[in-house]
Amino acid sequence: MNPDDDLPPTDAAAALRLIEDQRSATARRLVPDARLLYWPWGVAWLVGFGLFFLRFSPGDRELLRLPVWLPLTVLFALLLTAGVIQAVVNARAYGQVIGDSALRGRWYGCAWALGSVSVYAGLGRISEYLPDDLAGLVWSATAVGLTGALEMAGGAIWLDRDLFRLGVWISVINLAGAIAGPGWHALVVAVAGGGGILVAGTIARRRQRHRQ
Amino acid sequence: MSELDPVIHAQARLRVVASLSALGDGDRIAFPRLQELLAMTAGNLSVHLRKLEDAGYVEISKTHRGRTPATLIRLSRRGRLAFEEYTEAICTLLDPALPKEQL
Repeated sequence: MNPDDDLPPTDAAAALRLIEDQRSATARRLVPDARLLYWPWGVAWLVGFGLFFLRFSPGDRELLRLPVWLPLTVLFALLLTAGVIQAVVNARAYGQVIGDSALRGRWYGCAWALGSVSVYAGLGRISEYLPDDLAGLVWSATAVGLTGALEMAGGAIWLDRDLFRLGVWISVINLAGAIAGPGWHALVVAVAGGGGILVAGTIARRRQRHRQ
Repeated sequence: MSELDPVIHAQARLRVVASLSALGDGDRIAFPRLQELLAMTAGNLSVHLRKLEDAGYVEISKTHRGRTPATLIRLSRRGRLAFEEYTEAICTLLDPALPKEQL
């Protein structure tokens, strides 16, 4: 046992400094960097849906000559990467903290997983009867709509204003993109959606630093 | 500073309590993680946790995660209150004119 650490802090100012340092150090270690949680998704949407727009452009055009399989493959690979980063970052930060927070996180994760599977199962059966451009629109509008709704729900669970606002933004641009039609939807989601996620991550990080 | 709570008013235990106070209300932290956050030896942390437990400030529970036994720690309601009162007392010492709502 360190002989000094049973002694009181030298004065009130030292005690207060010790409290503040310890609380912010703990918060820094237990709360993951918001950029790592937001930015990988932002990049995935920006690049993935961006390629989708360039390959499957409005009016059956092809702004950039790319293999048909490329945009979706890149999108899924980037989404998967973002998911893995999120899982690792969360496990590192919240690992070995047990209780209400862990339960919230686990149930929220279940909502994403099961929600996606159940929605896409129905969609898969319908979209084969649709022309390619409409099938693409239905898939991406549903995925983006689900994301917006779950982000709003996440904001409500953690009383996280940034996450809630992002959910509202994603839902609104999804609506605008769906009205604009096939092709345009991908452009709106890439620029306003992906860009929105990047901005939200920056804002969330700034709020975090301010708090710590 | 004689009127300050002697259980918390020791550097190591103040650090332990301050760290635990940063956890969510319904959360517990595993012993090794707390040890890592505080950069204390296991023996040292155990000694201080026992003192805090004796005062009723922390709750220590033994459980199993899978097959490995785990020790989980959290601040009790009483401990949280004691920590708040301690922080308030420190702030009053630093600036007696400060109204309590601003602390």
